[in-house]
Amino acid sequence: MKKLTILLLIAVLAIGGLTTAMAAEPVVVKFAAQGDSTPATQAVIDAFNAAQTAYKVEWVDMTNDSGAMREQLITTLKAGSSEYDVVSLDVVWAGEFAAAGYIQPLDMMMDEAGLKIEDYNAGSMASGSYAGKQYVMPFFPDLGMLYFRSDIVSEEDGAKLIAGDYTWADLQAMAEKYMGQVGAKDGFVFQSALYEGLVCNANEFTANWKDIKGGLEAMKAMIDDKTTPDNIMTYTEGETANSFVKGESVFARNWPYMWGMIKSEGTIKTDQVGIAPLPGGSTVGGWLLAINKNSENTEGAFEFIKFLNSEAGQIVMSQAYLPGFNAMLTNEDVVKNNELLSMEGFQNALKTTTARPVSAEYSKVSDALQQAIHGYLSGTGTVEDAVKGVETALAN
Amino acid sequence: MTSLATTKKTTPSRERLNPLIWLVIALFLFVMVFPFLWILITSFKPGAEIYGRDTAFRLIAVNPTIDNYTTVINKGILDAVKNSVIVSLITTLYVVFVASMSAYIIARFSFRGKRMLMGLILGISMFPQMIIIGPVFNMFYNLKMLNSYWVTMAYSTITLPSAVWIMIAHFKRIPLSVEEAARIDGCSQWQALWIVIFPMAAPGVFTTAIMTFIAAWNEYLLTLTLNSDKAYHTVPVAINALRTQFTILWGEITAATVLVIIPTLIIVLLFQRQIVSGITSGAVKE
Amino acid sequence: MTWRQFLFVLPLLLLVSVFSLYPIITSGVYSFFDYQTNDQTRNAMYTGGHLNAPLFHEDGKYLNFYLKKDLQLVDEPGQATIAALQADIEAAIEPYAQKKEPITLPQPEEERILAVIGEIRQRIRSLEEAYPGTELNISENADTLLKEMETCIVGSNFIGLKGYQRLVGDTRFFAALRNTLVFTVISVFFELIIGMGLALVMNRSIRGIGIVRTVSLIPWAIPTAVSALIWTYLYDGTSGIVARVFTQLGLIASPELLLTSAGGTMAAAIIADVWKTTPYMALLLLAGLQVIDRGLYESASVDGAGPMRTFTQITLPLLKPSLLVALLFRTLDAFRVYDLIAVLTKGTPETLSIYAYKVMIGQGNYGYGAVIVLAMFLCVGLIALLYVKVLGAELMND
Repeated sequence: MKKLTILLLIAVLAIGGLTTAMAAEPVVVKFAAQGDSTPATQAVIDAFNAAQTAYKVEWVDMTNDSGAMREQLITTLKAGSSEYDVVSLDVVWAGEFAAAGYIQPLDMMMDEAGLKIEDYNAGSMASGSYAGKQYVMPFFPDLGMLYFRSDIVSEEDGAKLIAGDYTWADLQAMAEKYMGQVGAKDGFVFQSALYEGLVCNANEFTANWKDIKGGLEAMKAMIDDKTTPDNIMTYTEGETANSFVKGESVFARNWPYMWGMIKSEGTIKTDQVGIAPLPGGSTVGGWLLAINKNSENTEGAFEFIKFLNSEAGQIVMSQAYLPGFNAMLTNEDVVKNNELLSMEGFQNALKTTTARPVSAEYSKVSDALQQAIHGYLSGTGTVEDAVKGVETALAN
Repeated sequence: MTSLATTKKTTPSRERLNPLIWLVIALFLFVMVFPFLWILITSFKPGAEIYGRDTAFRLIAVNPTIDNYTTVINKGILDAVKNSVIVSLITTLYVVFVASMSAYIIARFSFRGKRMLMGLILGISMFPQMIIIGPVFNMFYNLKMLNSYWVTMAYSTITLPSAVWIMIAHFKRIPLSVEEAARIDGCSQWQALWIVIFPMAAPGVFTTAIMTFIAAWNEYLLTLTLNSDKAYHTVPVAINALRTQFTILWGEITAATVLVIIPTLIIVLLFQRQIVSGITSGAVKE
Repeated sequence: MTWRQFLFVLPLLLLVSVFSLYPIITSGVYSFFDYQTNDQTRNAMYTGGHLNAPLFHEDGKYLNFYLKKDLQLVDEPGQATIAALQADIEAAIEPYAQKKEPITLPQPEEERILAVIGEIRQRIRSLEEAYPGTELNISENADTLLKEMETCIVGSNFIGLKGYQRLVGDTRFFAALRNTLVFTVISVFFELIIGMGLALVMNRSIRGIGIVRTVSLIPWAIPTAVSALIWTYLYDGTSGIVARVFTQLGLIASPELLLTSAGGTMAAAIIADVWKTTPYMALLLLAGLQVIDRGLYESASVDGAGPMRTFTQITLPLLKPSLLVALLFRTLDAFRVYDLIAVLTKGTPETLSIYAYKVMIGQGNYGYGAVIVLAMFLCVGLIALLYVKVLGAELMND
């Protein structure tokens, strides 16, 4: 009898111990995101995991080939898989994912947590607003901007640029005026190869498609004259960065990441570089966070998204990325981590962000835009055809 | 063309070749090798030189570096090689096993529906691969087989038909009398296949194995769709994943390519005879 | 076949059924439906009326969410009206709370739900009218939400042969077919010519010919997805050496055209394909050459036939079976080209495989994608039939 009691006692203790152990075991939240060449993503995951004990975020490392990643996400999500809880989405995918019902609307969760849509990066939030519901929060925003050589460009012109008080024609004139100085053999470099970057650039040239004809003509004028390299039609971000970072061009349109490249491997130094908004506004790029419709850990997933967009999360993220939470744009710690934010021209660019078209079939829209624009730029079509093509594409 | 008529297969170096033909051969070899050579050269260039308008075309890097190699190794390219080896080995093992059994029956017996069976096998080898992606994904998802080595089972569509084909050709070369003798000794069909025929057809089995291995090693679409997790990426998928949002990392890609070509080179050098026989089995009536 | 023999073939049959026959049949079924995974009204195969229960429930929740915000904006009688409306909406969506999938919906049920939606719309309108000065949250969103609730009622998306009808009028399909044929014919033509030359050379007993064989096997043995990437670099507009050499030779006007223009991408894909698969063709032909009785050549030589005559009179006719097999294999491979173009240019020139992949995986349109794939399968079958007819069914005979 005594033996039995002891046995029972041990059993009870064991079960008790087991259940406490199980209760303490955090719920795993799976986060699908691309590999990060900076430590920021891992750091913010670690910070979240350390900040609370209920959930543990695990990073599912997705391929860096964005097209392939989108296809993988779609194939997985359409099958109703709960494999990922939080998914990171390129800004242009959100419309499609929302329309297909792969991701959850966040309005009620945000409301319950006291978060307001207008407090976050406008372009990012707009990219994930579909049929009256808000489906995403920012992962990190990105934006197109003008880099210029402050050591070449006169102070007067520099001030104009920083204030955004110039047109594309002005930029072309400046490029012509300053090219050739201090080894910068090209005036202006931007992205006009046949790919998604062309849509981003055209979005800026046409002021968010408000002046399609004028914008495309300005673009063509840049390509045809001698301020841009002969093979500018092959330029993607890679060629652009290579030219500017090595001091071979006076002006460049690129994303913020190039600032880091100038710092780490630049022939030129950051004190030779100024930042300015673009005449037609800055295209928003970057990534968004959304919750899989079939996630079994919706609460945990939202907790993580909320954390990433909180003050603590944003400070961690700011070691490599721009804050998506507007209040943090002037936060001391964030600005210290990201010197771009201390530059007036950059803050001005942040105020003029625009989104690419939000569509359930974005890839189709983008494809049609690229074809129409590239046809004109490469000289095989007229500007009228291009405008018509762009308008048809946008109407869908 | 010079006189083909005097060619004798068994006596090497008897023939004199027109120097023009030698030149053409040399040119051909150069064209075949050049892309690899250029990749090798590029893999030792630092990023700035790869993109530079002039340095990109230099034969020798101004500042040669092995950084590209260390980076891709740190990024786990060797894990992809390991996955490729595992996936290709599993495929090879079961495909050779399954193909041997079927090929034995097809090569040795005549039965109703044989032509249909062979037609089916041939038909599958002509299949557009695209057709299986959607349904197989759904099946794998429902059975929780995504992101695993189960992908090797799906590889059967691309490897099994040719494996059976090669095996039939080789089994037919083994005289029936050998098997009859074994059967008289009391062997069952099963024993006859594995104890007598299979070892005798060893060269053919080996050829089949090599061909299956290479086909599995080269597969891209199925792994891309069924194994999205990087932990299961094979070489072709992993290398293509080195393209990033803004740049194609040519330095890393070329270094990775050099690394992953090495196993293929070894296989080709060691087994070229088997490969040639594999390519040609079934293509020639004997 | 005895049952014992059948057991030997069983594993093959199982694998073939699961991974080849089942997908074909499934695709056949898909092709009769307007089945699009990224459209919530068509993301499964419905033969009758359905309700997208999860979305319907979610929209109801959203209505109540906005109504709840409005509670603070109205006076007490208004609050009572809202509360009653909320309760009714809740009651209307409650039955679908636990549903994860769309449910079947008989006709009367469909009418009832439409009536409920209409009633909710009416009551929201009268609420708005009661508070003309107030900006209600619900007025901003009700229209979108109610409209979406109506689209939750989904009819059958069985379309029978309409997908095939669409194919007949699909210019993009025929453009892709033309691209595929151009790619196939030109690639296989050059592979045949160069491969034949290579085979004739390799068939001679010259010292060092082993090197030619080994070297030419390497491009064939490495993954297409990897070799395509190598070529992408060689063709690159700024730093690609092949693009640069071609430009300097005057073959192309400027280096970027290889990967951006229509003609350029076609040429680029063909060159890469010829580079990779010519050795394969050569080896197939070599095998054929090696079984030709050498005595025939000797007697031809005695008769004083020149090399050209020997080739056309003896080699070619005797090589015919191997030649046709080699052509068949290569034609079908080239016709299905995917990896090469997908990696090289991300999809231009658009061949049938690329088009099918874009429609299925890219746009999630599995119904029409299946139609394209099956049409492609039909083409493959026709090509094979053509060859087999010429071959006299020699392939199948044992």
